[in-house]
Amino acid sequence: MGMTPVVSSSPSERLSAGGIELEVVRRGTGHPVLLLHGMQNVDPRARFLDLLGRRAEIIAPSHPGFGHSPRPADFETVSDLVHLYLDVLDGLPYPKVTLMGFSFGGWLAAEIAVKCRHRLDRLVLVDAFGLKLSDRETPDILDVFNTSPQEVRRRSWHDPAKAPDLDAMSDDELIVRARNWDALCLYGWHPYMYDPQLKRWLRRITIPTLVLWGAWDGIVKPSYGRGYSALIPGSRFEVIEAAGHHPEIEQPEAFAERVAAFLDR
Amino acid sequence: MDVWYQCENPYPFVPQDILDRVDSVRASLPNKYCDPKIAADLFEEVLDEFMLCDDQGLNVVAIEHHAGINSLFGANPLILGILARQMRNVRILSMGTLVSLRKDPVRVAEEYATADVICRGRLEIGFVKSGGTEMASNNANPVNNVERYWEAIDLIRKALTHQDGPFSWEGKHFTHRHVNIWPRPWQQPHPRLWAATGDPDTVNVLVLRGADGTKRAWGAYRQARAEARLPEVGTDHFAYAAFVYVGDTHEEGVRVGSKLLWFLNTSLKSAPQYSKFLPGTVPPQSAPLLYRSAPRPTTAAGGPRPVASASQNAATLIGLTADQARERGILFAGNPDTVYRQIHDFYTEVGGFGHLVMIGRSGFLTHAEAEKGIRLFSAEVMPRLKELG
Repeated sequence: MGMTPVVSSSPSERLSAGGIELEVVRRGTGHPVLLLHGMQNVDPRARFLDLLGRRAEIIAPSHPGFGHSPRPADFETVSDLVHLYLDVLDGLPYPKVTLMGFSFGGWLAAEIAVKCRHRLDRLVLVDAFGLKLSDRETPDILDVFNTSPQEVRRRSWHDPAKAPDLDAMSDDELIVRARNWDALCLYGWHPYMYDPQLKRWLRRITIPTLVLWGAWDGIVKPSYGRGYSALIPGSRFEVIEAAGHHPEIEQPEAFAERVAAFLDR
Repeated sequence: MDVWYQCENPYPFVPQDILDRVDSVRASLPNKYCDPKIAADLFEEVLDEFMLCDDQGLNVVAIEHHAGINSLFGANPLILGILARQMRNVRILSMGTLVSLRKDPVRVAEEYATADVICRGRLEIGFVKSGGTEMASNNANPVNNVERYWEAIDLIRKALTHQDGPFSWEGKHFTHRHVNIWPRPWQQPHPRLWAATGDPDTVNVLVLRGADGTKRAWGAYRQARAEARLPEVGTDHFAYAAFVYVGDTHEEGVRVGSKLLWFLNTSLKSAPQYSKFLPGTVPPQSAPLLYRSAPRPTTAAGGPRPVASASQNAATLIGLTADQARERGILFAGNPDTVYRQIHDFYTEVGGFGHLVMIGRSGFLTHAEAEKGIRLFSAEVMPRLKELG
């Protein structure tokens, strides 16, 4: 995909790590939180940023290939992403930060926490991917690439009216969406959105962990979140009512409250 | 000019109300709608048509498509094995095993070498990039499909030509530490290789370009060769595929030949997740034209020319009428004289081509009609085409 130029019509902050310049959204002051986004990069207009920003300094880079972040040639595995964020952690001016991951980014966060617990004080997983829990004929994670867009939308939101309206988006927003979609597919196609070995190593996560789930998530169901939490020693599992796969968007107040309470514990 | 007969062995016998109700007639249409007894009859008929081509001196093309009404040829090497053994005269083009979907190109090379030996050197090998529904059917990542396509071709070519014991391949997508196929191919250094050009569509895109697109595609090929300082090529390097039917009368030829358009009108229907939302198939810059329910008129004004996606191409083709298809050189149909004239005019307009691929059976066109078309074409039209050059 070297033919894909990076779109840069919206000016944004950058974060440099391992020779890669990442677009980054920063908000708030207080407890440092490195936020790894899910299927879409973090929209700087998202309300949860302001709410959580009252208690925390949020640092939310766009993964290579997502948003306006370039993706170097042959950088195309979850392992590449995990090692990139180990570089990011090394570069942050804090001895320890809280790591928070949404959806696909939750998978990355779990992998990083397994490898690098000494740089983290807390872990928050929100509707996270990354594990294979059910039997071989029961997919845990909805195949968003081979399922009709209407069905994906229905299963993503408690209130589908909250789903983004493609017709209302600017050209740049649609181009970013297409970049996100390509990148997600490249990183997560096979095995689909999980690492078969990760389950074995989650026991290494000994830092305080909150596993937070939208009660109506139809992409990865709350029972999967409960199973995830059970594999991380001492972790808390909580659901957010009236929210699907994106509780931070559908219920930003409840989401920010739960995370802030966890940071204060 | 060489002429090649192609039939994809479609399965049109799914009730129309079901086809209307589903969002895709490929990849996700349950196989309960495919009756194996009907399928067996279809295989028998189509393989017999290929055998008739062998008698008539008409070369054949065997394709591969997966999990849809458009084709029952899901495993090209199996069909190739039958043709290589049964046909005695004409050349056989595999177009082809879908190499970017197969885990091990060395096995593909082994299959091709075996077929080439069985038919004593009458095999030709074609490479196609596959389409959206095939990514789903084969669990293949669509984003780096084209990379896999080229690496697979490189590995297959080396496996076919390397004769000095095992070699090792540790590429980006394929690793195989001990490559040494037996038998090696009959033809040296390897059978002639073909590629379909255009965008990665589920259809054999050369079929669908019409005169303008055809000239552009071939012009681009010639220019690329010139830029790479490769020698100029004659028309033998170019093939054109079209729906072709010859009847006793012009009226009969057009009436029966129009049935071939089922391929466009019915068998292209594909759900958005396999087409416009399929990752990696068009540059993200095309998203403003693709993702909105209706493109904004101002979009891309002054910007780079947007790439037409497979789904946009398909949308145009699904609505094509027989008259439009004949005007665009997609369908050549009539009596021997009028079909010859249509092909001649198209040939002249695009600057000539060395190979015509005729799709002679599709949709509800019957076995008897297909055989009649093959006989009339090979007796009345083909000899005149040979003289075109």
